[in-house]
Amino acid sequence: MFRTHVSVKAIGRLSGFIQMDPDFTAWRKLAGLQRLTGKVRWKSNTRPAPVLTAAPVRALVDEQVSIRGHFLPLHCPVTLHARMHSDEGDLWESFAHYNADERGTFSLTRDPSVGGSYLGCEPMGLFWSMQPAPGGREGLRLRKKSVESPYTVHVSLLEGHVSTSEGQRSELAAVTIERWYIAPGVKRIEINQNGLVGTLFIPPGPGPFPAMLDLWGMGGGLQEYRSSLLASKGYVSFSLAYFGHKDLPGPPNCINVGDSYFKAAFLLLQDHPQVVSDRVGIIGLSFGCYLTLRIPTKTGVKPSCLVGINGPVGCTVSLLNSDGRTKNFDSSQEFWNFDDEGCVIFKDASLPANIPPDNFLKVEKLDCPLMYIVGEDDLSTASIENADLIEERLRSAGKSHLLTRLSYPGAGHLIEPPYSPSARTSMWSVKPKKLITMWGGHPALHAAAQEDAWKKILDYLEKNLRS
Amino acid sequence: MDEKHSCVTLSVQPSRGLVDEKFVILVQNSFPSSLLTIYAHHQCEDGNSWHAFAHYTSDATGAVNVSEDCSIGGTYSGVEAMGLLWSLQPVPGSKPGLRMRKKNVQAPMVVTISVYSSHLTEGFGDQVPLAGVEVERWYMAPGVQRIPVTEDGLTATLFLPSGPGPFPGLLDLWGGGGQLVEYRAALLASHGIASMALDYLTCKYTMETGKIVEQDYFEMAYKFLQKHPKVLGSRIAMLGLSLGTSVILKIAVHSQIMKLRCAVCVSGSHVQPMDGFLKEILDYFSKNSGNTHFTKDNEVVWRDLLLPIPTDLSLKVDVGKLQCPLMLVVGEDDQNWCAYESAMDMKGMMERAGNSHLLTLLSYPNAGHLIEPPYMPHARVSLFREIQSRQKLMVLWGGQTLEHSRAQEDAWRKLLVFLRKNLYSGVKSGSSSLSNL
Repeated sequence: MFRTHVSVKAIGRLSGFIQMDPDFTAWRKLAGLQRLTGKVRWKSNTRPAPVLTAAPVRALVDEQVSIRGHFLPLHCPVTLHARMHSDEGDLWESFAHYNADERGTFSLTRDPSVGGSYLGCEPMGLFWSMQPAPGGREGLRLRKKSVESPYTVHVSLLEGHVSTSEGQRSELAAVTIERWYIAPGVKRIEINQNGLVGTLFIPPGPGPFPAMLDLWGMGGGLQEYRSSLLASKGYVSFSLAYFGHKDLPGPPNCINVGDSYFKAAFLLLQDHPQVVSDRVGIIGLSFGCYLTLRIPTKTGVKPSCLVGINGPVGCTVSLLNSDGRTKNFDSSQEFWNFDDEGCVIFKDASLPANIPPDNFLKVEKLDCPLMYIVGEDDLSTASIENADLIEERLRSAGKSHLLTRLSYPGAGHLIEPPYSPSARTSMWSVKPKKLITMWGGHPALHAAAQEDAWKKILDYLEKNLRS
Repeated sequence: MDEKHSCVTLSVQPSRGLVDEKFVILVQNSFPSSLLTIYAHHQCEDGNSWHAFAHYTSDATGAVNVSEDCSIGGTYSGVEAMGLLWSLQPVPGSKPGLRMRKKNVQAPMVVTISVYSSHLTEGFGDQVPLAGVEVERWYMAPGVQRIPVTEDGLTATLFLPSGPGPFPGLLDLWGGGGQLVEYRAALLASHGIASMALDYLTCKYTMETGKIVEQDYFEMAYKFLQKHPKVLGSRIAMLGLSLGTSVILKIAVHSQIMKLRCAVCVSGSHVQPMDGFLKEILDYFSKNSGNTHFTKDNEVVWRDLLLPIPTDLSLKVDVGKLQCPLMLVVGEDDQNWCAYESAMDMKGMMERAGNSHLLTLLSYPNAGHLIEPPYMPHARVSLFREIQSRQKLMVLWGGQTLEHSRAQEDAWRKLLVFLRKNLYSGVKSGSSSLSNL
């Protein structure tokens, strides 16, 4: 069984392809004929195997790879099977069906996939359409833990059009591709000082560099992979842990740090000898986006720009306040919804209508540019409603010019660096009971959103932090 | 801190590439028309430091593109996309006679590339650059397997491309310095050829018995490849440099057991006693050692040891009997072997015999003896440990750096095309190219 993911533009291209090519019927018949008369004799003592190439074979995860096949029988059907292991050892894989042309070649930057995990001309489809292999653990989400080593993706060329590993046809050719989250020379420094917990990434070179504070959501822990990528683009980047990390104080399931913690993190960057002190920005996803808006409005620091992705302007979860009281995450459970399969949908907890007015951040106090990114199929945060609220408040304050709003149909909550598999759902917690949460997003549309958003984020940082 | 300086960006794409891949070095956001020096630094495995630098003037947008713009001074000049690698030289104060050769092919060569303000020729360590990046140059593509081979008495390393195969095979031989030199075989495997680097002078057998190997040692190596499940036994080539050429030509013409699909011989000669094999070749050199010359700097010149090219057929391989395609690569300024003269003689022999259609001859003016994979620094002279006497000598290889580097780049590209054509022939390839080369 396989799931096919089709983007709107891919459908257009595919139907155009069918209309434009009068020989479509002919080569389908030819492929059928080959199947009828028996398999093409692949393994031979007299001629070398077909060849699969990729360029570049070592690249950052946000760089495109060009995959091609050569020395195939004309017009023959083949399958590309990509697989890799996550840092936790789970197997992820994707399949795509191609047909070699009249010269026995195919190219992923030129040809459409006609079946498998994605359809249409998608040069990076093999990467973003990966799913956990059957028989693996449930509720998986792919996140790189160890950013200093690459993902090793093994791409096999198989005969015919197949979509599972069962009854595996023999591998005709293969190529191995490394996907890196860190450029050569980027330094990784663990931070555990003055109460701050996180990881700092410093680009190679003398500096000084512009910098970014990098914040994730209530999944907690310490996620380094966006920071390491930003450092690979020349920004000193600080991934900050603030929840669910062993080195942080206080009871679990609560945020036990307050505004002073985030201010200190921002100042660590600003005061760093390799950072240009007036070129520090903040990027945050989900609750990290809330923090991205909170830090400038509550702590007095002055970032040069902000990038917020799918986050609320106000929420029921609170930081450690001056009285030492916090509310834990589960306190917003009254707004949790569950679908037929028992997956939790957090979205309503961040609907402006459900939030006490005092809990809203005063975004009208912002004095720096803000890019706010919306996944229109976000099921975890009410992103559209929060974006509307931000837009309205900034407009009332005469600050519309500060806002850049990007909105992606079909994209879910987890808008991350591009070309990685997205998760429509994943395991949220195992205790006290197993809970799977819905993030939303449809793979092909979400992949397109990630690609576009990342490009726009990088251009935005370039414009606001470097020129 | 001058804010504008922190804006200068330097990028090298790809930042992780194979050793024979080109890169693009781009400087952006400097002052328009500013004088800049681009600087490369590498510390090799033995701890020696190498550097290269070039002087540029940024354009009206404050950019420099090393692939398009002209260096007006430094360790290279002109438009040279890869000049910062091939013009690397030992930093001032280094020991003389250094040669850069990668031992551990599983780790990349790391080069730091920086851009400095103004045109500097020294004191790079004392100045703060405007920007700097690190570049990794790999000898092995991902998925290539490195397999040490000790069975059948061999001292070798096999490199297998990624995938099920079968792949054409290749035996890779170096020259009179001996040792097991892996980097060329690793690179060839990265291009889809199952390649085995073979040590035939300092192998375990020779070190233990003191005896030079005979032809059966090479037959063992050939058979090892032939019966390997991932190697296409009917498509095995040999590639050799220097003394390796002597071995290959003898085998290509005379061996009944080793049937080569094609052969590539770099900087070598067909002159050798036809009686006997490797030991006899080495003895022949010793006998002629009186023809050794020395430069005014006391560098050893061995190119006359085999000159004049004999007319006697008992003293040279009769390449008129060759039945497989042969590529000869020679540098016309080779001071170590009379490779050019030998190539001319071989060409004549093949023309007279009517098999010259098998010959591809690449001859490079001002290139020296050590024609290696591209973009590696050229060594005109280096310290060489003579195999039999164990003496360390300063040997003159020859070649002028610019022309030698161009020759390496051109020869490598043509060598790959030659190997692919002969090892993959019979398979339709159309006009699609297999790589970025």
